[in-house]
Amino acid sequence: MTLEITKDWRRKLILEEDGYDISAGLTSADPIFDGDIIVDDHGDDGLLALGKFINLMRRKRGLSIPDLAEQADIDVGELLSIEKETAHVPEPRTVYMLAQVFGVSDRKLMGLSGLMQPKDETYVEDAVRFAAKSESIEKLSALEQEALNGFITVLSENAKK
Amino acid sequence: MPKKTMTLNLTEAEMAVLEELCEKKDLSKTVLLRQALRLYQQVDERLSRGDTLFFEDQSKREKAEIMML
Amino acid sequence: MTATQPSEIRAIELYDNAGKDFVEAQRWHGVVDKNLADWEAEWMPELQRRLKLLNQQNVERRFWPQSRHWDWRAKLKDIEKRLANQSFALVCNGMTQAMMTVDTTKRARLEGQQTQHLVYVDYLEAAPWNRGDIAGDPPRYRGCGTELILAAVELSITEGFKGRVGLHSLPQANRFYANRCGMTDLGQDKTYENLRYFEITLEQAQVFIGKGKGA
Repeated sequence: MTLEITKDWRRKLILEEDGYDISAGLTSADPIFDGDIIVDDHGDDGLLALGKFINLMRRKRGLSIPDLAEQADIDVGELLSIEKETAHVPEPRTVYMLAQVFGVSDRKLMGLSGLMQPKDETYVEDAVRFAAKSESIEKLSALEQEALNGFITVLSENAKK
Repeated sequence: MPKKTMTLNLTEAEMAVLEELCEKKDLSKTVLLRQALRLYQQVDERLSRGDTLFFEDQSKREKAEIMML
Repeated sequence: MTATQPSEIRAIELYDNAGKDFVEAQRWHGVVDKNLADWEAEWMPELQRRLKLLNQQNVERRFWPQSRHWDWRAKLKDIEKRLANQSFALVCNGMTQAMMTVDTTKRARLEGQQTQHLVYVDYLEAAPWNRGDIAGDPPRYRGCGTELILAAVELSITEGFKGRVGLHSLPQANRFYANRCGMTDLGQDKTYENLRYFEITLEQAQVFIGKGKGA
């Protein structure tokens, strides 16, 4: 038996598969991430804060989007989506590479992006607070600098709980 | 996949059970019998390997061995 | 002995990311010797090359492909005589692009269809060059996951299981099954290495194949 799926529908599904890993089955080579991985891709405050944080960090370093993408060895489109689209759930690798470039905790950045369920959720709230505080002004203003400092403090590995 | 057809003679009781199971599992007779054959093969493979088949009642922590010859 | 010919060949399409167009491909019902040879001679060296890159870039192992130790030859040998299992391969440009094995004796877990039979995806993997999660070049062909899940849904309907499909997703693929296939996430399964279990209902299958609400 063959299913009567229209060619257009099939093509639509195929195009939407862009950027997804598809592996299924036992067993996983490594222990899974410590946190609980959540799969909801709806935009939330954490993603908004992540986008804001990356945007501020990038501008503080005077990097363009392509510059940062190259430095972190990530896709330009993905970086653009992180900064501009609040509903975009980034790839774990992208978040990891960005954390490396900016010297913050990759686990916390994962938590912020919803790729990992944070054990301690207070830093996500803090990060969202700093994101809200940083209203966009052309250059990095003193206010943004302050927000960024706050970001860096809460997203560092050694931040106090 | 090419398929072969066979006629199966069942007693009334057997047919009643088959129909009851089909109703319960929402499957056709062919599908149900095919599932039965797959499961039988699976069980037989494990038993031939020396494994034992158990049903376990977790609430009562009871295990009952199923004898399959 | 692995079969040399698939029992059925079906014309499908995949999307060529480089050529930015759809290309002709085939879905084989039955993974055969040729697919395993491709896996051994092409998938494995390419996977090793990419693992080396990940290692050189100091990417932590938890971000490496979680299926990197899978042995498709062994998997196929395990199930070759079992009626309960079936396998599929996607072939494009003369090369195996993805493979899947399924079990037809497992039962559903989702409330409302609990204990009903379903097609359980034992293993599903794309060739390393079709994956976006490993270092190296961008993915070559898009649509392998879609075509294989469509094959599982189709088999489920043919088998009389009404489109019900279940699987344990590897961590990096959770988003695909939840967001793209519209499967229900039943959470981490302690009996399956804490992998997340996903199940598709008759209604969700209808939506996925473009026949139901939301399509």
